[in-house]
Amino acid sequence: MEKNNDIMIDVDNVSMRFNLGIEKGFSLKQGFINLFDPKKRKEKKKNKKKNEFWALKDVSFKVKRGEVIGFIGSNGAGKSTLLKVIAGVMKPTKGHVDCYGNICPMIELGAGFDPQLTARENIYLNGAVMGYPKELIDSKFDEIVEFSELREFLDVPVQNFSSGMVARLAFSIATIVEPEILIVDEILAVGDIAFQAKSEAKMMSMINGGTTVLYVSHSLTQVKKICDKVIWIEHGIVQKVGGKEVCDDYLKYIENK
Amino acid sequence: MISKISYAIKKYSFLLQQLVTRDFKVKYKRSVLGVLWSLLYPVLTMSVMALVFSNMFKMSMPNVNYLVYLMSGLVIFNYFSEASNLAMSSVVGNFSLINKVYMPKYIFPISKCLFVGINFLLTLIPLYAIIFLTGTGITWHHLLLPYAFICLLMFTLGIGFILSAVSVFLRDMFYIYGVVITLWTYMTPIMYDVAIIPEKFLFIFKCNPLYWIVKFVRDVVIYHAVPTPNVWIYCGICGLVFLIVGMVIFKKTQDKFIYYV
Repeated sequence: MEKNNDIMIDVDNVSMRFNLGIEKGFSLKQGFINLFDPKKRKEKKKNKKKNEFWALKDVSFKVKRGEVIGFIGSNGAGKSTLLKVIAGVMKPTKGHVDCYGNICPMIELGAGFDPQLTARENIYLNGAVMGYPKELIDSKFDEIVEFSELREFLDVPVQNFSSGMVARLAFSIATIVEPEILIVDEILAVGDIAFQAKSEAKMMSMINGGTTVLYVSHSLTQVKKICDKVIWIEHGIVQKVGGKEVCDDYLKYIENK
Repeated sequence: MISKISYAIKKYSFLLQQLVTRDFKVKYKRSVLGVLWSLLYPVLTMSVMALVFSNMFKMSMPNVNYLVYLMSGLVIFNYFSEASNLAMSSVVGNFSLINKVYMPKYIFPISKCLFVGINFLLTLIPLYAIIFLTGTGITWHHLLLPYAFICLLMFTLGIGFILSAVSVFLRDMFYIYGVVITLWTYMTPIMYDVAIIPEKFLFIFKCNPLYWIVKFVRDVVIYHAVPTPNVWIYCGICGLVFLIVGMVIFKKTQDKFIYYV
């Protein structure tokens, strides 16, 4: 296999299958009912195929160093699943993903918060969850507090925060690293107007700093503004890969639907 | 393999430490006595049991203080039951994290076992207080106890791995294990003397790994003796075998967790 230093992410034939049926789990009661109902039993056999849901089907693409890639598509098209597969949260059913560089997945911010702990304690906990070493958090602690503008609330349990404040804290923690690969899942609109502008500026500075970025957004203007390449995903299948013109194709598809 | 493990330890020790401190902080939040409960709780439960059982089972062993006998078994078993219970729900309970951030899933059962382990060390304080107050005496043999504790930790970790993995696929496990642990309490000679068990049933009791760990501790604490080699071996084998089996089961199933939780 050739080693290409310029390729940062190699997504190779990735398919992801979810089984919608097992969401409910097997229940003895349902099994018992089905036993005496031949109609249901037949249905169950049929459902087995129906229950399978391919969130991603044979998705392949390569991302070069420094590229900013936008992902567009309807809700449930598989964008977030794809990002989670790349970030290593999920293992694909088929195919594999190779990443050459450390990833900062800003997929769901504040996932590691414990509402009972104070902001100060949560900075360390969340930082550890994101995989940062203690030294890094120590050295960037003031920067986080400064950026989130929550210094007066440092010793307040996070459960007493407003959701905007939680989002600000989470954003501030997530962005202290300088990752080689940045995964962003529609989080630019965080906090109040002033903080939105600030977080967008920070994001732009990270993007312009030569980082490889995977960017999911429903705002086509945003995507057009910052992305070099656009990938349009629908029903788990890559519909189109290309430049900014893909956004217009997508828009046409939505209008004709 | 070794370098991989040491890399993981280095990388995730901070996360592990954070998770354990989180549990500790949350546990005693808003309680007046706070960490004192770790000392008081086992003493109080033991007092209740001592009150009830000391008259029920006649101690056939001379020169054995029932309080020390009860307490030494109780701290071991309480550690096991609490740690295995928390470990069981640790993967299901942390699903919001598992689904969103990449982190090794085995860290959750480990952090629970270590968290209860700290509590366990605190319960040794009342145990030693009772040993001291009853005049049972402390000898150099007590230095052997860490071996039993390590075996207990390995055994509990193994069971924790198995339970946390199985409970993802089978939520009934929470109820089943509740019954199992009750049965287990009575199948382990904690409050009664094993001598009251008829000879023909004794082998069932000897299949219980906790029987050997409790025996090890009591040999040291009560009889001031070095446990016989077979006790050492049984403790070690139980710890190692369960740990390895647990790790294998967990590793084999962990990629499927996200489909089920």
